[in-house]
Amino acid sequence: MYPANHKTIFVLDHTPYFGISSEYLIEFDFTKSRGPGFIPLAPISKSLWTCSVEAAIEYCRVVWDLFPQGKLVRFIVSDLSARILNTWSPQQQNIQHIISSLASIGVPPRPQQEDFSVIHGLKAAAEAHCECTDIQHEKRTSLTENAIKVLNRCRVIVIMSARDDASMKSLEDIFQNILIQQNKIAASSDHLIAIHHCHLVIINIHPNTVVSQVSSHPVKEVSSILTSEVHSVKAGGELSGKLSNLIMSHYNLGSTTVTGIPMKEEQNASSSANYDVEIFHAAAAHTSILKGNAADSALIRTQRDGTDYETVTLKWCTPRGCSASEMQNCIAMHRITPADVNSRPSSCLINFLLSGRSVMLEMPRKAGGKMISHLLAAHGGEIFVHTLVTARSVLEDPPSISEGSGGRITDYRITDFGMMMKNNKLFPRKRKYEQTEEETLLNRSRAQLDRHTKFWPITISATFLFNLKNYVDPLPTLMLKEELTDEEVVECKQIIYSLIGQESKHEPLQTPSMGQRGKGPKREEQYRIMWTELEAFLRVHCRTDQHNRVLNCLLECRNKLDEDKPGAACKGEKGGKEGKVELDQAIRELDQLGKSGDTQPESGVRVSVIRATTDSPMSPPPVSMSAPSVVPRSLSRGSSGANSIYSRPQSLLDLWLSRTLAARETRPEFHGRLNSEVLPDGTLRTKLYPFIMDDQGPRKNVHAEGVLGYRSRGPGFDPAL
Amino acid sequence: MPTVILYDVSLSMCKPVLQSENGETFSKKNLALHGVNCLLDYFSVNSKLEFVSVIAFSSLYEIISPFTRDFESIKQKLQQLEEYDKTSIETALHGVNRLVLGEWGSATPCQVILVTDGHIDFGPLSLKESLSNVPHHDGNSQFPLPFLFPGKLSVICLATPQEPSLHQVLPLYRRLVEMAGANGGVFTPEGSLTLKSVQAMFQKMAETNFAPFVGTLKCGNLESRVVLSPAPQTYYKETDFEIVKRAMSSTIEVCGFMDVADVGSPMAISRHLVLPHTTTKVEGDSNSVKMEVDTEDESGLGEGNTASFCVLLHGALKVENMAGLCLLGENWFGVVYSWADGKKKSNLMLSVLEPGSNPVPWLGDLNNLGSTKSDTEPTPTFPVRPVEKRSYSQNCVVWIQQAGLQSDIQKILRHARKLPDKTQHFYKELNRVRRAAISIGFISLLEGLADIFERECTLLPGAAHPDCALQLTHAAGVLRKPYSRDINFSIAPLRTKFVSDDS
Repeated sequence: MYPANHKTIFVLDHTPYFGISSEYLIEFDFTKSRGPGFIPLAPISKSLWTCSVEAAIEYCRVVWDLFPQGKLVRFIVSDLSARILNTWSPQQQNIQHIISSLASIGVPPRPQQEDFSVIHGLKAAAEAHCECTDIQHEKRTSLTENAIKVLNRCRVIVIMSARDDASMKSLEDIFQNILIQQNKIAASSDHLIAIHHCHLVIINIHPNTVVSQVSSHPVKEVSSILTSEVHSVKAGGELSGKLSNLIMSHYNLGSTTVTGIPMKEEQNASSSANYDVEIFHAAAAHTSILKGNAADSALIRTQRDGTDYETVTLKWCTPRGCSASEMQNCIAMHRITPADVNSRPSSCLINFLLSGRSVMLEMPRKAGGKMISHLLAAHGGEIFVHTLVTARSVLEDPPSISEGSGGRITDYRITDFGMMMKNNKLFPRKRKYEQTEEETLLNRSRAQLDRHTKFWPITISATFLFNLKNYVDPLPTLMLKEELTDEEVVECKQIIYSLIGQESKHEPLQTPSMGQRGKGPKREEQYRIMWTELEAFLRVHCRTDQHNRVLNCLLECRNKLDEDKPGAACKGEKGGKEGKVELDQAIRELDQLGKSGDTQPESGVRVSVIRATTDSPMSPPPVSMSAPSVVPRSLSRGSSGANSIYSRPQSLLDLWLSRTLAARETRPEFHGRLNSEVLPDGTLRTKLYPFIMDDQGPRKNVHAEGVLGYRSRGPGFDPAL
Repeated sequence: MPTVILYDVSLSMCKPVLQSENGETFSKKNLALHGVNCLLDYFSVNSKLEFVSVIAFSSLYEIISPFTRDFESIKQKLQQLEEYDKTSIETALHGVNRLVLGEWGSATPCQVILVTDGHIDFGPLSLKESLSNVPHHDGNSQFPLPFLFPGKLSVICLATPQEPSLHQVLPLYRRLVEMAGANGGVFTPEGSLTLKSVQAMFQKMAETNFAPFVGTLKCGNLESRVVLSPAPQTYYKETDFEIVKRAMSSTIEVCGFMDVADVGSPMAISRHLVLPHTTTKVEGDSNSVKMEVDTEDESGLGEGNTASFCVLLHGALKVENMAGLCLLGENWFGVVYSWADGKKKSNLMLSVLEPGSNPVPWLGDLNNLGSTKSDTEPTPTFPVRPVEKRSYSQNCVVWIQQAGLQSDIQKILRHARKLPDKTQHFYKELNRVRRAAISIGFISLLEGLADIFERECTLLPGAAHPDCALQLTHAAGVLRKPYSRDINFSIAPLRTKFVSDDS
């Protein structure tokens, strides 16, 4: 908690001394030999200032690449006074901002008789550390119990040049006093936060040709609030190496060397050579492989010359079979950045990854063989190292989902659900308006999902309506919309009219999945089920007046008045009203029967009627029986229950037939019906195949239980008749 | 979650215990065996997928059974155990670390159940001695606790308060549990030491630590009772500014869907199989208004034949190669998707993401994901890009290594030799290098560049385009001017008449 690396301040010495050359010569004239007598240009060298600036910027590059948030770095340049290049504000935490500020600072001034000192910078650094960062402010002012306990730990990295150890010692003492003074000021202020601990890192640099009188010393405790360390290094070549060593411990980073990267040679495109690229990332990316087998981890850890940290060497592995596009078992994920961002091998690897391909890294094992331990992949222009599980998985050999509950059913509406998923696909969106806690975009998506699943039978056999796509589309889609336009209402109405037309023409409804068991419900039954389901569907989706218009259209078409809402009518009323309605219906049907007599022989109709009324309880229940089970119960009771008019219309023929049938009923009552129990809602229930539990074969029997549903059969089946 | 049973086989386990009920005598070993068998029976009912390993220990330890789901085989092996010398818990715990790291690595949470008799030993290997040494190994502690993996320790102590050693040993056990972290516990039998009380103690421990996670997988109005295997653990993490401790809600709500390719392979703090809940208990009719797709199994006949939303969801996710974003608690998300174990058996898997609304950088803030389409603007796509580009994708200048500087200079010279065709490129690169040099105060480079351009003029072949010399001289001249040291200044190409004439 409260790590020092949350706040880092670089104090850069900008005194005239830093204008001198580092005496580290750089050959920059690489013109290939242009014949004899060619004299290359004299080498150039960077100033101490240039060396310190570029090392500090490199430090920030790594920090901000790996931790875009939460790890803040500020720059203070010190000469005659302190000049602050950026604040803790996230907008100023980037290289561009620093570079342009540095450009305006310019090179160190010429020597003058004035008070140039790095002390100004140290003082400003202490002041800056007392300023709260956004998150510190948020945590301090939050009303939770640990609000007061925010510890302000920080780090100051000074790049300067001192005469000798004594002056270095006095600098540490001065800084200690500055801290104490500053904490006093902070204590008496509301918006400042006292420094609980500061880690002072002094890097003393000198031109490469000079021997420094300053000696390095490791971390030591100056006081309870200050620890300090001194590193004395040559400006040219050593400084940036020193900082990149320090950054590893400051941010707890790890280094991975990706080895064996195949790269095409510039000169010889047909052959490829293997290169290594070193990358930095949080050390935690290695935890899983280094904590395991000690022999294995010793094999991959090496320390390169000039570094005081270890790098883990993992081999490039061209992805085969597994890729980033499937879900890998990833237990950790960290941003990476190349150690040397501009080298050709680095940019090759980077571009390979940024182009969307991924790289697996494999780790050799002492026992022989290797295993894939990491995945490098770019997401949205950022490259991550994914730590994959290398050990055994606790999820091995799981039971298949098909072995579990519901696993043996084969008629799930998978395609339809896929469509529903696509309609509820999530996209990243910009905040358009100020969102309140509840009204997030995601919550709106949840509400939409809720609406889309209001009426959603999950198996094909549990629905009839959704198997009639060629008749009802696009009505089911339109009704899901939040708002309906007039045109859409008309479209829906037309679908209803066309269904009515179909019915009046006695055309059977064709479904693609019909006849799973050879026999689907008969035509009249079909329409009854369809209307019942359609009404239930429309009722749950009545969200606006426009939606209501569609429902009303259906109700009007089917002679159902709006007042006849579910629950409003009770069983008692049913008789009178339905009787009237169905008399009309019956007369109409009789007419049509006469008309269609030649095309549809009476015997055909007759057979269907007989079948509908004498369905044995042993035969597979028709689709209708399962439909109500997935319909919300209140609805199924309301619409397909006793007060529904969508029960199969009762014609005179029906009445006559049922009476004569009842009279002829000489056979003994079915066993099941005799042994059935009466459920509270008036239906009879009996267990089918009572012995099936003893002899459970692979038989696919969806409806293992017969419900003698008088409520869903309509008056024609009423035992009273 | 794998479980290691540390089974004490020291000589003191032979101590006979008289059963007051029937006058029979059992050894503590018999009682321990009975308890462990009960625990294994609990597993076979409640968590068939649990991996259990048994380590027997005295002063040494031995892996009696490697991790297995075959609980019967463990029972058989336990029967054959003999007694050895004295108890060394420290050695045994080292054994646990070795075993677990070798098998599951350092990231898999495991439970360790120490079954011992509460007998206190003395001497160098005793618990008291090892614990008293702990403060001395500071930093790189040799003591096996905390475990080298996310572990939880439960101590089952077969001793009653009548045994005087218990009072001495309990604080030591508590210390062990505390060192292991993750709120384990010490269990002792209630009342006297009988088969019954031991069984009750094991039962209590199992219910505390191994209760199966039964929840509801919900998607709008569709839902299904599910079991998560392994059961999710309380999430605990210390971040820079807060301690996050979260327990998962029992309702896993799918909020929307994404393509698996867009989800990428985000870091998951844990992964769980989402299995349809098989034991069907008809609960009150209170929520009968909802679409209870699972209630048909009231019949109790053939669970495989009762439609389950879970199976539908899995099928559709698999066919469409999509994943569902789930809400697991307040501002805590996970992803469900179809996962196959290499073989044909595929399953619904839940990857639990880190708590917070932004656990996956390339998906952006998950609360800002929306499914509602708008016709006016184009549909945004994944991945969400960060506001700032990373250094490696923005062509930044780093001259710490000489090679970096050399390649930048060579690039300019390459363009210079192809003037006037590359005039634009030449000046673009030149200005880029110049700006970088100015900002880091590398003024000698600017002079060096001027020198190199002038020298390049003298080396031009006779057939060179006249523009070459003109532009190079122009550039060198401007580089030496003081006004070109301004970062906002750009060196513009010299306008020559040759370009248009020559074409």
